[in-house]
Amino acid sequence: MAREVSFSKSIDWPLFIVFMLFLCMGIANVYSAAFDPEHPNLLDFSQKYGKQILWVAFSLFLGFLVMLIDASIYRKFAIPIYIFCIILLVIVLFMPSVNGARAWLGIGSMGIQPAEFAKIGTAIALSSYISQINVNQQKMSTVLLANALVVGPMVLILMQPDAGTFVVFTSFLFVMYREGITYDPIILKLINLLPGVNFKSTWVGSHFIPIFFVVIFLSIVTLLMSNNIITFSFLPSVAIPGFAGVIGTLFVLAAISFFILRWISGRRDRNRVTLIVLIGFILTSTISSVVNYGFQGLASHQKDRIELFLGLKEDPDGEDYNRNRAMAAVGSGGWTGKGYQNATVASVQSNHVPESETDFIFCPLAEEWGFLGTMVFMILYMFMLVRIVIIAERQKSKFNRIYAYCCSLILFYHFAINIGMNIGFAPVIGIPLPFFSYGGSSMMSFSVMMFILLRLDSQRNDVLM
Amino acid sequence: MNFDSRKYVVIIFFVLIGLIYSSRLFYMQIIDDSWTLRAQEIAEKRVLITPPRGVVFDRKGKKIVTNRTYYNLMMVEENIKNFDTVSFAKLIGWSPEKVKYRFKEIVRGEGKYHSKITGKTTANYQKIRPYPFVKELTIDEMSVIAPYLENYPGFYEEITSMRSYPFSNAANILGYLSEVNADDIIEDKFYKSGDNIGKAGIEKFYEQELRGRKGVHYIVTSAMNNAIEAYANGKYDTIAKQGPALRLGVDIELQAYGEKLMVNKRGCIVAIEPKSGEILALVSAPSFDPNLFVGNRNITLNYPKLVLDPDKPLYPRPLAAEYPPGSILKLVQSLIGLQEGVITTESGFPCNKSIVGCHNHPMATDLKKAVQYSCNPYYYAVVRKIIHKGRKKKFYEDAEAGLNVWAKYMHSFGLGEKFETDITGLRQGLIPDSKYYDKWYGHLLWAFSTIRSISIGQGEVKVTPLQMANIAAIIANKGWYFTPHFVRAIGGQGSNPLFKKVNKTMVDPIHFEGVQEGMRRVVNEPSGTGSRARIKGITVCGKTGTVQNPQGEDHSVFLCYAPMDNPKIAIACIVENAGWGGSWAAPICKLMIETYLQGKVSDLLKEKSIIDANLLNVKKKKDKNTIH
Repeated sequence: MAREVSFSKSIDWPLFIVFMLFLCMGIANVYSAAFDPEHPNLLDFSQKYGKQILWVAFSLFLGFLVMLIDASIYRKFAIPIYIFCIILLVIVLFMPSVNGARAWLGIGSMGIQPAEFAKIGTAIALSSYISQINVNQQKMSTVLLANALVVGPMVLILMQPDAGTFVVFTSFLFVMYREGITYDPIILKLINLLPGVNFKSTWVGSHFIPIFFVVIFLSIVTLLMSNNIITFSFLPSVAIPGFAGVIGTLFVLAAISFFILRWISGRRDRNRVTLIVLIGFILTSTISSVVNYGFQGLASHQKDRIELFLGLKEDPDGEDYNRNRAMAAVGSGGWTGKGYQNATVASVQSNHVPESETDFIFCPLAEEWGFLGTMVFMILYMFMLVRIVIIAERQKSKFNRIYAYCCSLILFYHFAINIGMNIGFAPVIGIPLPFFSYGGSSMMSFSVMMFILLRLDSQRNDVLM
Repeated sequence: MNFDSRKYVVIIFFVLIGLIYSSRLFYMQIIDDSWTLRAQEIAEKRVLITPPRGVVFDRKGKKIVTNRTYYNLMMVEENIKNFDTVSFAKLIGWSPEKVKYRFKEIVRGEGKYHSKITGKTTANYQKIRPYPFVKELTIDEMSVIAPYLENYPGFYEEITSMRSYPFSNAANILGYLSEVNADDIIEDKFYKSGDNIGKAGIEKFYEQELRGRKGVHYIVTSAMNNAIEAYANGKYDTIAKQGPALRLGVDIELQAYGEKLMVNKRGCIVAIEPKSGEILALVSAPSFDPNLFVGNRNITLNYPKLVLDPDKPLYPRPLAAEYPPGSILKLVQSLIGLQEGVITTESGFPCNKSIVGCHNHPMATDLKKAVQYSCNPYYYAVVRKIIHKGRKKKFYEDAEAGLNVWAKYMHSFGLGEKFETDITGLRQGLIPDSKYYDKWYGHLLWAFSTIRSISIGQGEVKVTPLQMANIAAIIANKGWYFTPHFVRAIGGQGSNPLFKKVNKTMVDPIHFEGVQEGMRRVVNEPSGTGSRARIKGITVCGKTGTVQNPQGEDHSVFLCYAPMDNPKIAIACIVENAGWGGSWAAPICKLMIETYLQGKVSDLLKEKSIIDANLLNVKKKKDKNTIH
């Protein structure tokens, strides 16, 4: 067929090249991080770098298979694929626990983690479902079903437990936001229960996801600030307790936005603006209060955890051991790093940073290549993410577009949490850095995910899709 | 509804996080140094390599201080398994309680560490690190323990270096090493807990040289604290350098012989080479074996014994014991008198026993005879002339001026002053001047008659044996001396340039001949008080002294140099409670000179009787007030 002939033209080379570049960098990095002077051969399959090469080779083989298969199969078999993933997630719960989690299916080192593949399955199922519905006529049932597709695997993953992958699954909420799946039907149902209220749509419902993340952000800020006493050098007698300061700041922000919004909005919207700002202020203050007083009411060990996470409490040799060591490794990189295979903190041999070849793989990279190295990585990764969004937006098929968004947001989540962990911006919840972390399951799942994307994109002109 | 604009929300979100993370990386990696420091704290370790201390040779090239291998029994708590305290205690010869206590002691001894980066204080002790459990085991002790160590996982042996003194002599010269205390560590960053530092003698004075230079080895350590590799391939490492060898002027064989002669006696012998100021021997009796102070185990064992010994072996008699010089000072009085012109070598004074006691001797018709007979009234007259020379019209002012002139002369002989030299524990003795007596009697309320006992070396005048020996060296040199010192060369270089500076006395060389002749007669004339120091074939010049001792029998003092025409050795000897100067001190000096100059002793019987003599318990005071 003509389609097959033009394969090399239809593939998205920029994305493919970055993808391959990441695979090579990943191998080089694992070779450095896990280097054992007694087994210097890169292809020594008893070592992690040897195994990683095997995983990469196997992933490429899988990718080759994906490229041979017609892309329409994913859409057609979305439900079976999804159900298969769910079954695996259920089976894994009956497997023996490894390191406190029943995440592994299989024997020993040859096991796979179904949670990694469930991301692909969920992405396909979600893409398939959303592409079929009319987002402009959303019903309670469609919203609930779309959410159920995501929440189902999340619950099973939490039962393993695997907090990292659980958090990654919230990336699908962003995809739904992009596609206009709102929580309006649910919120309207609740609000319209009140007598005399009859909204057609609510701002909260349609922008639920960004609001959700604003709430998280607000909570963190509240917790960070409520322990402090705010003083001003020019007003020495004034000392505002932290929480009052938070509310005060919110009030000032609300006032500013009120005047700005009133100024830019038309006469018709004035009342609406007033209402929005008022509700916004009341809601944020309420959230802040709930977080603040809720935190006070927590048990002390829970408080410790949260304080540790927020960096309110330093415990470099205790619970915060990993993060502190990781940050020391990253921060000691300087401009150009300590040189390839010269990491002092983040090598597997020194073992100061535990899991430096898996979850903390960014440490050896940052320590050995310094700021220049991390910048190259950041730029390439940003390029990859934006490129996927561009690819998504050029798709004619809604299924393709949604799937591409799923890919970009999953990759983004892994990036944000994993790097955040290394630089003290995220709690240590243990998720791999795509294409870099040592491990078969993540390597295979991310590669297959990318190849499916490349395959879908290469067939974007097939009108039938 | 069209949701296309929401793609910008996603892209903005990506870029925003990317920028935030990049700024954070820029801050962490470039601006903020604390993470680099934290990384060093975590992963890099400076391993200090302590070189063996510099060795010490005597003047003939014999090694007198060297290093010997010892063993530390090391312990890594984490590796200890199934530890049987009782059997282990038995193996190392401790009580089980002591073993238990030792574990706690190690933890406490490591102290705490305050990190400036994290602001946290943590205990330095780590279970994964090795610590010495028993230190300083000899090879014999270790060979008993070693075969059973495999029954005690977590314990192993480690080689260490400690001092060894092949000659068992000169403990008072060489000093000893001891573990640094907290003050030493604060004072000098060179030292770390567990290091040794010289605490006395040569070891203390030449600490800076002997300790050498520590090597620094930077290594990358793992979380288990194992060394993984050299940091930056050893680019910043430095090599440990042993301290330079010291060459002493001390003749260890002479020193050993002196210590042998002084066995069972209290007192000291100081021998100086007049031409160089190098100390040939510095015997402090009773003496002790320096090997008793090797290692802290030995020190804790032996130190209390030596401290509590009533004969005070740790007291550095030649340096710190301030004796009234007795008749020996008459030599200096003669010289001052000649230089001041108040007497000539032909001056005679009657032996008027009504002024000051004397023994029966022929009339001292000239200076030589005065020295030979050690006539007390003669020197009463001489010193009175020195002090009341008529410098001032008023009698008391004249005494004041005269005494100060006299004291100045004395200072020029190194008396009443501390030598600036490489000897620790020196005292300066006492030469009273006008200020001193003003305190006692009041300004202008004293004259020579008040202080007359200084003329015969009694009363307030105090001199250390080292200063006495130096007087002999000055007379041998006819008026000058090099500061007495131990070290003649450090490594390939010479010693302190200060030791090459000629110290001139205020007495001209011409005046020394009469005194020298008098000293020759003391030993070589039949009626001389020091005839027991006479040696066939060597002209010895000497002077006896008897130091009155209110607590017991007088101290026997002898000062001499030989040979007369080409002096090679100047000696001062004091034997406490041994009676008059000629009795014990003179023959001891004779034996020392013979040994040094001839390498053999002529009168073996005499030697034996001196070695065998025990004068430790002689304290009985005789009814004798005469001074020789």
